[in-house]
Amino acid sequence: MDYLVTIAISIAIYTILAASYNLVLGYGGLSTVAHPIFFAVGAYTAGLLAVNYPESPAIANVVAGMAAAMVASVLLAASSLRVSGDYLLIASLGFQLGLLQLIKNLEFTGGPGGLSAIPSTIVGPMRGPAFLAICGLAAAACVFIIRAIVNGPYGRAISAMRDEELAFTALGRNAMSMKIVIFAIGCGMAGGAGGLYAYYFQYVSPDQFDVLASAAILTMVVLGGMGTVYGPVVGAILLLAIPQAITFLQLPPAIMAPMQGIIFTLLVLAFLFLRPAGIVGTKGRPI
Amino acid sequence: MTEILRVEGLQKRFGGIVVSDNVHLTIGAGEILGLIGPNGAGKTSLFNLISGVLRPDAGSIYLRGQKIDNAPLYKRARMGIARTWQNMLLFRTMTVMDNLLVGPRDYPGESIVRLTFGRAHVRSAEAAMKGRAMSILARMGLEQTAGSAVVDLPFGQQKLIGLARTLMNDGDLLLLDEPMAGVEGAAYETMQRVVRQEAEAGRAVCVVEHNVSFIRDLCSRGIFMAQGKILQDGTVEELISSAVLTELYFGV
Ligand SMILES: Nc1ncnc2c1ncn2[C@@H]1O[C@H](COP(=O)(O)OP(=O)(O)O)[C@@H](O)[C@H]1O
Ligand SMILES: [Mg+2]
Repeated sequence: MDYLVTIAISIAIYTILAASYNLVLGYGGLSTVAHPIFFAVGAYTAGLLAVNYPESPAIANVVAGMAAAMVASVLLAASSLRVSGDYLLIASLGFQLGLLQLIKNLEFTGGPGGLSAIPSTIVGPMRGPAFLAICGLAAAACVFIIRAIVNGPYGRAISAMRDEELAFTALGRNAMSMKIVIFAIGCGMAGGAGGLYAYYFQYVSPDQFDVLASAAILTMVVLGGMGTVYGPVVGAILLLAIPQAITFLQLPPAIMAPMQGIIFTLLVLAFLFLRPAGIVGTKGRPI
Repeated sequence: MTEILRVEGLQKRFGGIVVSDNVHLTIGAGEILGLIGPNGAGKTSLFNLISGVLRPDAGSIYLRGQKIDNAPLYKRARMGIARTWQNMLLFRTMTVMDNLLVGPRDYPGESIVRLTFGRAHVRSAEAAMKGRAMSILARMGLEQTAGSAVVDLPFGQQKLIGLARTLMNDGDLLLLDEPMAGVEGAAYETMQRVVRQEAEAGRAVCVVEHNVSFIRDLCSRGIFMAQGKILQDGTVEELISSAVLTELYFGV
C-alpha cells in the first residue's frame, strides 16, 4: 500500500515537472534542458529551511522554494534571452551543471551525499494518503493553470509568438517579457514540486537533478504530446508506471535493469516514427 | 500637411553593403509615398530601420516630431508604426480572426496580471477587438474567412490578411512592403481601394512596390532608391519619366 502511494506521489510530482516543462518548451518554444535544476532549487530551498528552522511552516517553505526557483529562472532567462534564443539552451545547461557542482561542493547542502533528515511535517498512518492528496491537488492545480494560460488571449499570443516572433513583436507585443514570464511560471512550478518532494521523501541528493533527469522529463513530454495540455500527464504516468509494472513480473535484477532501458528506448523510437505528435497530440495542424 | 514621419541622415551598413546611405525622408498625414528601386536597393532595410527591426549606425527617426531612436520594435508599434512584410509572416497555425486579434496596439491578453485581475476589462477589450477585426475583414469582403485557417486562403487573400492584421494597429504610419507582389484580380482591386481609404483617413502611407501602374494610380509622391541612396524624390510622373530610373530599374 505504502509502496503504491509512493508511486502515486511520484507520478503527481513528475506530472507537475512534465506539465511545466511542456509549458516552457512546448508552448513557450524556449529551449532549455535545465528544468530539473529548478526542481532542485525548490527542493533544496524547502529542505534547508525545514532542516534549519524546524518550526517554520511547511507551506511557507514550499512557497519559498517556488519563489527561489522563479527568481533563479528570471535571472537565467533575462540574461541569456537577451543574447538569443539558442543561447538559452547553452546557458541553461551551464546553469544546471554549475549549480549541481556547487551543491555537491558546499557543506550546508549536504554535499554529494545529499540533504537528509528533512523533518516530516505529517506523521502517523495517514502520512502517505495526506501527501498524496496534497501532491495530487497541486498537480491538478498546475495542469489547470497551464490550461488557462495556453487558452484564451494569452494562449493566442503564445501561438503567434511561436509562429512568427518578429511579426508578433512588430505588432507591439513584448515577446521578451512574455518569454520570461512563461519561463518563470514553468520553473516556479518545478520549484514547488521540489518542495513537495523534499517534504515527502525527507531526502534530496544532487544526482537526482542531473541531465538524466532532464532526459526523463523530456521523454515524458515528447511521449505524451508536446504542446498539448494533457500529454505530459499521460507521459508522466506511463514513464513511472511502466517500470513498476515490470517489477511485478518478478524478473531477476540482472534482466530488469537492461529491460527498462530497452523498453524506454523502443518506446521513444516507436513514437518518433509512428506518432511524432505524442499520444495526446493531434496529427494535423493544431488549430 | 501634418508631418508624421521624418528620417534624418539614416546610415546603415552590413559589412561591405551599404543599405542606407544618408537617407532623408518625410511623410505627411494622408500622403501615399511610393518607394521603388531594384532588388537589394535597401527598401526593406529602410522599413526595418523605421519600424525598429534594425538599429541605424547613424541618423535619427522622428514620429510626429518625437525622436524614437531608442524605442525598441514593440514600442514603436505601440506608438503607431504599423508595417507589413514582403513575405507576409502570417501566424500560420492560427485562424484569420486570431491573426487579426494579436494586432491591436494594446493587447491586454499578453499580461498575466491583467488577465488575472482585470478579467472584465480583458473580456470587453476582446469583444471590441473582435468587432473591429470583423469590420476590417468586411471592408475587404473577407468576413466569411474569419474562422478559416489562414494557410487555407488563396495567396491574394493571405496578402490582404497581412494588411488587415496591420490595420488592427490603427497607427498613424503604415509601411507596406510589396503588397501587390503576386496579387491579381479581385484582391488587387481590394488592396488598392483599402490602401487609398487608409490614406484618406489621415494615415501616412509608404508603399514599396515594383508594380508601376499601382504606384501611378495611388501615390502622390515617389522615391527612387538604389544601393541605399535616395536618387530621386518627386512626383510620380517625374519619377516614371526619369532617365535615372529607366536606366537603373528597367535595365535599359
Ligand atoms: N540583416 C541583414 N544582414 C546582412 N545583410 C542584409 C540584411 N538585411 C538586408 N541585407 C542586405 O542588404 C541589401 C538590401 O536588402 P533589402 O533592404 O532587403 O533590399 P530591397 O528590399 O530593396 O530589395 C541586400 O543586399 C541584402 O542582402
Ligand atoms: Mg525588399
